[in-house]
Amino acid sequence: MKLGVFVSDFNLTVDTLDRLTAEKLGIILVQNGVYHATTKVNGKASSLLDKTQNLYVLSDDVQIRGLKAEDVDKRVKVVNYSDIVDLMFNDYDKTAWL
Amino acid sequence: MGKLAIACYPGLVGNMSFDFAMKLADAAADKGHQVSIWFSGNATGSVKAHQKHLKDYSTGEKHLQALLAKGVEICTCEACTVARGIQKPEGIEGIQWNAMHWYLAKVHAADRALLIGGE
Amino acid sequence: MGDVKVAMIVQKPQYKGETSRLAITHAISYQTVEILLEDGDTVTPKLCFIGEGVLGLQKGQNAMELYGITSTESHMKNTLLVDLDVLVCKEDLDKYGIPEDAMPNADEMGADKTIQVVPFAEIQKAMEESNHVMFF
Repeated sequence: MKLGVFVSDFNLTVDTLDRLTAEKLGIILVQNGVYHATTKVNGKASSLLDKTQNLYVLSDDVQIRGLKAEDVDKRVKVVNYSDIVDLMFNDYDKTAWL
Repeated sequence: MGKLAIACYPGLVGNMSFDFAMKLADAAADKGHQVSIWFSGNATGSVKAHQKHLKDYSTGEKHLQALLAKGVEICTCEACTVARGIQKPEGIEGIQWNAMHWYLAKVHAADRALLIGGE
Repeated sequence: MGDVKVAMIVQKPQYKGETSRLAITHAISYQTVEILLEDGDTVTPKLCFIGEGVLGLQKGQNAMELYGITSTESHMKNTLLVDLDVLVCKEDLDKYGIPEDAMPNADEMGADKTIQVVPFAEIQKAMEESNHVMFF
């Protein structure tokens, strides 16, 4: 399956993402999930960024937190709501919200 | 264009995942997709009319009315809503009230389904 | 359009939040969705519990007496009475030290189905075989 997973928290209380497998896995960082793309903990980037090459972060949720595109890890593509709609319809056949 | 069925459980004020759901629905409708939104759990509190928009608080009513005007179908879980003390005459005009099978019916027809769980 | 399969994955525990309970009741509503569909169309959910979602399934609950609400146990019995497929992750039961026989059943109420304790791989398969997935 091609699964797009919305991650909305920084401190994930579920290990679901570690267990899921997909032919194509996309991680879309929204809400507090954007911190995975912008913030290191003790100098280390989030391990979530190693799970797939298909990483996206919602620009509105980055900006509202006083962060900028330059703060986003280079592996993560900055997208807007319209892009997210396209991802849902064109790139992933199932979506999940964590 | 496709069909998108969104379920939203988080409450209107206090969890901006509700706001996310509204903006996603709006973006999808603008792209010509047919969108349906199902409210269950705390999200059902957002269907009460005459909300006062204070700048410190997320607002639902005007966004919901704008989505309805764009042809987005919005339905609230009747059981969840009345359990929270909101009766049909108090609801925002145009929002449907139904049981949980309404959402499953929309999922049946949908190309994509996204359920945004609650707190 | 025929049958649409939905994998409903519960990963949060019950009672503090209502999301897990809503997963169960939404799954049960597959029984009546046909009134809104064309003849022959159906929705078939698979209700799956993983992670902390397995914590609140144990039998012997008395939510009605203590809080005046229907217990998760009671809801789970209803899922079996309406012939829902319910999968509970074996690895997570083992992780939390919950024995399989702590799972409720509805045998005394005439249910044909029982809760299936399965490896996570079966739940992954349910997701892959479904048209849609929903995480609660």
